[in-house]
Amino acid sequence: MKLKEIKCKKVIDFLCDNIEIDFDKECCEKIKNHVHECEMCKKYFDTLKITAKCYQNYNVDLSKESHQKLINKLGLEE
Amino acid sequence: MTEEELIKLSQSGDRKALSELVKKYEKTVYNFAFKICRDKERAEHTMQETFLSMVKSIGQFEGKSKLSTWLYTVITNHCLMAARTGKKHEWNSLDDEIDIFEEKNISSWNVDPEKVFEDNELKEQLDKAISKLPTDYRIVFLLRDVEGLSTAETGEIANLSVPAVKSRLHRARIFLREELNKVLQYEA
Repeated sequence: MKLKEIKCKKVIDFLCDNIEIDFDKECCEKIKNHVHECEMCKKYFDTLKITAKCYQNYNVDLSKESHQKLINKLGLEE
Repeated sequence: MTEEELIKLSQSGDRKALSELVKKYEKTVYNFAFKICRDKERAEHTMQETFLSMVKSIGQFEGKSKLSTWLYTVITNHCLMAARTGKKHEWNSLDDEIDIFEEKNISSWNVDPEKVFEDNELKEQLDKAISKLPTDYRIVFLLRDVEGLSTAETGEIANLSVPAVKSRLHRARIFLREELNKVLQYEA
């Protein structure tokens, strides 16, 4: 079943462009109220933010060996 | 010593200053390269190529943009070139209309983003999802949402207009959320 309310489509579109938005400071009342009241849009917005957060927190360590190989390749000294 | 001073010293042939610049940015460069190619060996190779480029061209660096912006640009170009010559179908664009408004596609997720570093299964899912994203979209998503650069800086690095950055970012966010939703959703 598709969501019937056109408002959700517009709100989700807006949220996809503005995941870092602070609702209290930068958002119009209509969007803010809709997200507070609509469980679907709230879940969608939460998962959009989680997506970015997961990739932000996924980092890899540079090993000492890789660092040393780089320094050697560049002909530099420690 | 400031970065500007280190660059000036490097330009006059000071190898120690050059070494300091490398140390300052090696983790950033390695991580960004890894985030694009999702492979440690290729990330290491990209890091080496990026710094070789920096060492070779530091004399011409005029400081019109930040050194980090310049490094991101070198990595981006290197990875785009690799994608173009790769065997994968990297250049398929995303479907015009991903149907994001199906109710079944909207649910809560059973995941804690703060624990990514210790969750190998989640890392695998993140790798798989982003690997399906065409490289040019992936780069825009990583620069904006992961590295935290502005839309204008992202456009400068990826050689895209601001509207093109916004459009790619919009679709990349939807695509990745959609891919992860398939494996992370749960019904409360």
